[in-house]
Amino acid sequence: MILARAGLRHHLRNPWQAALAILGVALGVAVVVAVELANASAERAFTRSAEALAGDATHRVTAGSAGLDEGLYAQLRRSGVRPATPVVEGYVDGPQGRPLRVLGVDPWAEAGVRDTVAGAAFRVDAADWLGSEAAAVLFEKDAQRLGIGAGDRLDVEVGGRGRSLVVAAVAEPADALTAEGLRDTVVVDIATAQELLGRVGRLDRIDLVVPDGAPGERMLARVAEHLPPEAEVQDAQDGAAALDEMTAAFRLNLTAFSLLALLVGALLIYNAISFSVVQRRPLLGRLRALGVGRGQLFRGVVAEGVLLGALGTVLGLPLGYALAEILLELVTRTITDLYFVLSVRDVTLAPSAVAMAAILGVVAAGGAAAAPAWEAASVAPRSALERASLEGRARRWVRWLALAGCGLAALGGLLLWGYGGGLVVGFAGVFALLAGAALVVPWAVYTLALVAAYPAGAVFGAPGRMAARGVAAGLSRSGVAGTALVIAVTAVIGVTVMIDSFRGSLATWLETTLSADVYVSAPSQAGDRPPALVPDLAERLGAVDGVEYVATARYLRVPSAYGEVRLRAFDHGPIGDRGMRYKDRTADAWERFEAGEAAFVTEPFAAHHKLATGDRIALRTPQGVHELPVAAVVYDYTTSEGAVFVGRAFYDDHWGDEAINSLAVHAATGVDREGLIDALRQAAGAEAAALRFRSDAEIRQLSLEVFDRTFAITRVLQLLATVVAAAGVFGALFALSLERTGEVAVLRALGLTPRQVGVLELARTGLLGGFAGLLAIPPGLALAGALTGVINQRAFGWSLQLSVDPAVLVQGVVLASGAALLAGLYPAYRAARIPPGEAMRDEG
Amino acid sequence: MTNALIHVQRLTKRYPEGAVRRTVLDGFDLTIQRGEAVALMGPSGSGKSTLLNLIGAMERPDSGAVWFDGTDLAELDETERTLFRRRRLGFIFQQLNLVPTLTVLENLLLPLELNRALDRGARRRAQALLERVGLPERGDSYPERLSGGERQRVAVARALVHGPDLLLADEPTGSLDAQTAGVVLDLFDELRREYGMTAVIATHAPDVAERADRVVELRRRAHAGGSAA
Repeated sequence: MILARAGLRHHLRNPWQAALAILGVALGVAVVVAVELANASAERAFTRSAEALAGDATHRVTAGSAGLDEGLYAQLRRSGVRPATPVVEGYVDGPQGRPLRVLGVDPWAEAGVRDTVAGAAFRVDAADWLGSEAAAVLFEKDAQRLGIGAGDRLDVEVGGRGRSLVVAAVAEPADALTAEGLRDTVVVDIATAQELLGRVGRLDRIDLVVPDGAPGERMLARVAEHLPPEAEVQDAQDGAAALDEMTAAFRLNLTAFSLLALLVGALLIYNAISFSVVQRRPLLGRLRALGVGRGQLFRGVVAEGVLLGALGTVLGLPLGYALAEILLELVTRTITDLYFVLSVRDVTLAPSAVAMAAILGVVAAGGAAAAPAWEAASVAPRSALERASLEGRARRWVRWLALAGCGLAALGGLLLWGYGGGLVVGFAGVFALLAGAALVVPWAVYTLALVAAYPAGAVFGAPGRMAARGVAAGLSRSGVAGTALVIAVTAVIGVTVMIDSFRGSLATWLETTLSADVYVSAPSQAGDRPPALVPDLAERLGAVDGVEYVATARYLRVPSAYGEVRLRAFDHGPIGDRGMRYKDRTADAWERFEAGEAAFVTEPFAAHHKLATGDRIALRTPQGVHELPVAAVVYDYTTSEGAVFVGRAFYDDHWGDEAINSLAVHAATGVDREGLIDALRQAAGAEAAALRFRSDAEIRQLSLEVFDRTFAITRVLQLLATVVAAAGVFGALFALSLERTGEVAVLRALGLTPRQVGVLELARTGLLGGFAGLLAIPPGLALAGALTGVINQRAFGWSLQLSVDPAVLVQGVVLASGAALLAGLYPAYRAARIPPGEAMRDEG
Repeated sequence: MTNALIHVQRLTKRYPEGAVRRTVLDGFDLTIQRGEAVALMGPSGSGKSTLLNLIGAMERPDSGAVWFDGTDLAELDETERTLFRRRRLGFIFQQLNLVPTLTVLENLLLPLELNRALDRGARRRAQALLERVGLPERGDSYPERLSGGERQRVAVARALVHGPDLLLADEPTGSLDAQTAGVVLDLFDELRREYGMTAVIATHAPDVAERADRVVELRRRAHAGGSAA
């Protein structure tokens, strides 16, 4: 108990240091918790939504985004298939610019499939459903948020056109989970949804509740009898699982980032706890001299670490929660931009995040305390009294650590480039690489500091030498702080180069593929399917003066052997394959593509499904399943899910509809683009208001804007890792400045002015930051290579052209120096204000 | 009085100690002549180090004044006090004397560099002083490699290297064994006399005090009535 009291009083007498240790733990915990919570909340929202929308449905009849003829539902009902309910689903822009899910149902068929939706639908009189105005049911929370009630109008925008619905009733979901799943949903009847979403006569799916055993089999057999060739029966959970899988790589990337934050956080915790232990080495030495056993000392110090860790965790949890709110918005936006519309508003305190916090904060703090505690408990009592002995041991250790680090980094390299494993193996390689770099840093900082002492001494004299050697002399402190900073800056360099390379590859791709002058499409909610255009629009626009040719594209999702795939049908006419960038192709690829005899697959699609030129791909069409050879693999950065391209001829033969989703207008040479857009608008006539006419430059800019938005979360995480590392540097410098009080007092007595002392301290800090920045360059570049060449390839299937802008490397060094200088301001200010007489008296 | 280098006048210094302020020096007077070596003796807490710090412009008195060569140190601002220490004083402390990140020779050169007097002659002087203190081969060693006695010998050399007017030594042999202490003190005396410097030495040890021209006794919580000789 007396030992514990001594430990406790040490912290009470050094409240600043205790506070720093707790803050270090809190920050580390907060970042990990925030990422974990944001991830878990997004996933939970997705699951809840999928569950609420599926209700009790076990199966669904679907035919991809082209949908089913609504007559199929009537046929199934007539043949006794029930419970079965038709669904038309899509998105519109709600009143506050937020996407609203439109769920079109048959109110009388919902019971037994989605009771909550059925309950909501039954709150509306049949007369209202059948009335002339489009009736809608809102759920209570959305009605409150939008500030509207029964009888009010709900203004939405769809395909660029304003529409108005009448809120016929406000319903309350049966339970909280369903309420969460049905957030931002407006229920309308099938006809309204069809009309609103431009899918008259079509259904998106028919949900079925299939009983177990023989009755179920009979029911499915009856369904099969009526099923058109393009349709299939899916297990209801498969659809949700496919969507979930779509975002798996994205979420894995975020988890990897949270692990990076964990690595930096753990270093910070180690830093903070080891400072408080190392500072007490003289006391520990005295206690050892008094006969305190090694085990007692070890347990006592570890217990203190655990206590500080627990306090930090308690602080870190609310901090992480607050941070998660910011991250969640970014995660949601990215998923919506890239995959599907996702609406999440609340961060839920997931048990896994709490567990993660407890493990990180408490266990890692205890673990971090264990190393210095063991070190202090292991040395002889006399040497524990000498600071020099600690630094001597640190200097010996760093060589071995550096050797181990080189080995680990080599293993990382092998996992990344020498072994063709999956994404998890790739991430293991990245972490081995980073951990290896982390182990090399203390030795490298020490060596660099000693080398830098010569030029620093030549230029700035003794203060320059002192600043450089001070970094080396305080290795047990500066080593860990430097490591945290190097890891953070490595991540910044690696990820920035990756993002720049990605952006560069995308820009190059856009440059070569956007071969038309003007693109025409109808606006759609991000993540939702694009609305179809009027079929004769291409012809009308093609007749405009100055137009060489109007190429068309049709986008839809179709069932295939690989699940539902994105299909794009192109009619390029005389433009040929201008705009296609081949990764691999057969000699007659384009001719066969145009003739409808072959398909192209995008690079991610080929990677995910292990397809190559010459393989065959089976697509479910209204004419039955049709196999096509893959004649080319093309570069495409529009979707990580991948897509299959077919010629319009093949589409017309097998789907037989005239629908198009976008037009690419190729103008004759020398035609003024602005004038052309005006002429095209005029030719479009009444439809022009609901269409978007964009130049290739505009499309390029918009694409890059979406790209930048997608990586916003990555940049935030980078920033957080740097803030955490800077906090570590601050802790290290503050501890160093406390320890160096006596030394500073001697310097002041010898005639160094307060300003000179402050500059000396700042120079030491700046050097540490500069070294960290320089040392982060090699692992940063390796990380960039791994992310662009391996991780992106394995996660998304994109091959990216690695391009390194030297400015990024300079920025890394500036960032590290800046963070270190900022962190060093207060310690320098404090050192400059040390009253020499008082300090000498205290230290003596 | 015209030959006086230091004139301490009704000097009072108190330190906070919990809720109260403890008086360490209370109206203390002392005059020290040029070239004189004065030993300050007294029990712990009697104010020896405090007096040394006040004379060395490292602290400010609560009242009274320290006149150094006609200048009231209380009138100097922080920068002037720093420059005063840099140019006119040489310090030897009980421990923590040397800058651990500088080699022995660099420690010696530091006062010269601060005074912008780091020419070739100064380097020769520093090397010569190292030889005088018996450590000609240790110029490139870091302080942590030296024994306690060696460190104090370097401290003596560093205190003298820039030719200050006054040497202030606070328990210069307090952490050394008797034999090593004797070596250091012999060296200190020899060099001080050779350079003709004034010195103030705070010590508990009678054998250290015996070497001084004059001994001033300080008592705990009271002034010892030291006066001009």
